[in-house]
Formats: sequence, structure tokens, C-alpha cells
Amino acid sequence: MRQQWLHGFLDVCLLCLLAERRDYGRGLVERLVGAGFDEVPGGTLYPALLRLEKQGLVRTEREASVSGPPRKYYELTEDGRTAVLERQQAWQQFRSAMDGVVSSPVASVEEAGS
Amino acid sequence: MTSAQEWGAQLVARLTRVGIEMGEARELAGDALVEAEAAGIHPRAMYGPAVAYADTVAQAVRTAVVNAAPLPRVRGPVILRLRGVSKRYRRRQVLQGVDLSLRAGEVAAIVGANGSGKSTLLNICAGLTRATGGTVERTARIGYAPQQHGVAPLLTPEEHFRLFGAVHGMNRKKAVAIGTGLASRLGWRPRADVIASHLSGGTQQKLNVVLSELNRPELILLDEPYQGFDQASYLDFWDQVFHWRDGGAGVLVVTHLLHDLDRVDHVLELRPAEES
Repeated sequence: MRQQWLHGFLDVCLLCLLAERRDYGRGLVERLVGAGFDEVPGGTLYPALLRLEKQGLVRTEREASVSGPPRKYYELTEDGRTAVLERQQAWQQFRSAMDGVVSSPVASVEEAGS
Repeated sequence: MTSAQEWGAQLVARLTRVGIEMGEARELAGDALVEAEAAGIHPRAMYGPAVAYADTVAQAVRTAVVNAAPLPRVRGPVILRLRGVSKRYRRRQVLQGVDLSLRAGEVAAIVGANGSGKSTLLNICAGLTRATGGTVERTARIGYAPQQHGVAPLLTPEEHFRLFGAVHGMNRKKAVAIGTGLASRLGWRPRADVIASHLSGGTQQKLNVVLSELNRPELILLDEPYQGFDQASYLDFWDQVFHWRDGGAGVLVVTHLLHDLDRVDHVLELRPAEES
């Protein structure tokens, strides 16, 4: 279930992580895990990054790595920065709506039980 | 070939089969393999089976194309002009005073409730129905995908391509090659042994859409072509509409879905006419 939830919010998470600093795919997964999410499979992550790139929110750069062939780095474009601000706002609204709906039934169950 | 490279080759094959261009398919597969190698994981473990991953990637590419802001583009000459078009069936007034100018490189949507004359207007534009009043001017090279009955139930898709190609003076080989290419852009690969009446409703509509574009028309008339389309095909369809538009065709689409209208150039709203 948590995996499905993250699926819906993955684009926002990726944009916000990239707003902090540019990164490559694997680095983003590790930062998500560090934040407490489950491991995002590559089959989900890379199509999401591709979508953001095609939407012009993210641009990529190939950079040589210490070992092996050059890897793709992702960073926000100007449009991407605007999108982050918009989505942060939308998330705040969504979050307070969720909090209002999800927390109240639990509270009433506890009251009924006590 | 290592099994990772084999996975990559399968990915490229599937991507091109669902309409991604070879150059882009190779680049996407190359990136995927590099990432997997850097992570030290087999691509199948990292991304899943190549075919399924290709479909997800192709969807990501297409969705982005459809949702992209309209590009500044060249509008050509007027290819369809309706002036005061009206239609009356006996005592019933179906259309009254319809005006529209559509240029090459533009998309127009006809909207309105059932019975408001949308299909009648499309038939008038196609030249299949005569208007009672007003004038219709249009280019001679049109493609037309009607709502129903556009396909011959006992012919296979390939036979349709040959038949419709012949109408436009194409030889068999060329007609089949073009038809198959157009089908793949809609994410459809026609099978040689299935006749049209055995295709699903959505696939029959894809066949209709392909036939309407076989002669590279300047004006494309489409009637509810996504009825029976699933969500993915629906997005592919709009991708296709904008592809035609950017290729310089004018596209007229009858629709009763309202949420796509901010991306079209003209919206023509028809109201059901009263009995008189």
C-alpha cells in the first residue's frame, strides 16, 4: 500500500529532491530510502524521470564516473523550479485535507473504546 | 551477447514496435543498461521484463508529448470554410448558421449534446450529406474516420490498407507499409489472420483512423474515434492528432469529452435545434 501511495507522489518527491541538489538515478533512490520510503524499483523510477524530462521540468547531463561509462545526472530546469513551488503548495493543501479526514475516525474509535 | 545486452535488444525491439523511433529507442536502452551496470544489478532485476518496461517507457514519452504546451507553429491556408451552413430533414432543423474557418496546422473540435447534429456536420464536411443552406469550401484531399461502419467486416486490416491505398493510387506494398506504420503509432500491430469484425471495438476504430490518414490528407475528419479506446490508446490518439497537426494537416474532431478543449484551436459548439 505504501508503495502505491509513493507511486502517486513520486514526481513531487523527485522534483523536491532535485531542488535540493542534482543527482543521478541511483542517488535519488538512496535519498528516498534515507527519508524512510521503501526502495523504488528502477521500472518505476526511470520512467518517472523520463516523464519529467519530456515535460521540460528536468534536464539531464552525462558525466564521466570513476568506474564504467558516463552516467546521467538529473537537474531542475527553470520550469522545474516553478513546478516545485506550485506542487509544494498543492501538497500542503492536500496534506491538511488528508489529516482532517484520516485522523478524526481514529480519534473517535479510541473514544468509543475508552 | 550477454543476457543484459539481450534484455537491451528486446527493449529496443519492443519500443520501436510501439512507435518510438529507432534513435530514441537505442538511447533509452543504452541509458538503462548503463544505470544497471553502474548499480551492479541485472537489468531484468532492476527494471523488470524488457517488454513490460518498454510499454511503461513508451507511455511516459507519449503522455509527456500530449501534455506539453502547444508549440508555436506555422498555420497554413484555410482548408475548410463553412459559411451559414444549415441542414433540415423534413420539418426538423438539425443545423443552423454554422460558420467555421480551419487552417492547415490547426485542430478544431465539434462539441454538443447527442442529437445536436455533430455527425451530420461532419458528413457535410466530408461531402456525404448535402447542406440545405450555406456554403462549404474545402480542400480535395481529405481523410475521414466515421463513427461506425467505416470498415468492411470480412476483410483483414492489411486488405483494408490495400483497398483504400488503391483508391489513392498506391501500389499494394506501399499501402501496406504505410498502413502498418500508422498503426504502430497508435500502439497497434495488425495481425494478418484476423478479419475486421473479429477486432475489438477500440481496434476497429484504430483501423478507421489509420484508413483516414492513408493518403496523407490535408484535412482529417474524425468522428468519436476513441469510443471503445482504453485510456492509453486515448492518449496515443491525441498524440496522433497533434502529430498530424504539426505535419501540416487540419484536423476536425467530433467529441463529447470536454476536458481536452484547451489544446485545440477552435471549438464549435452545436445546440440541439428545436422542432419547428
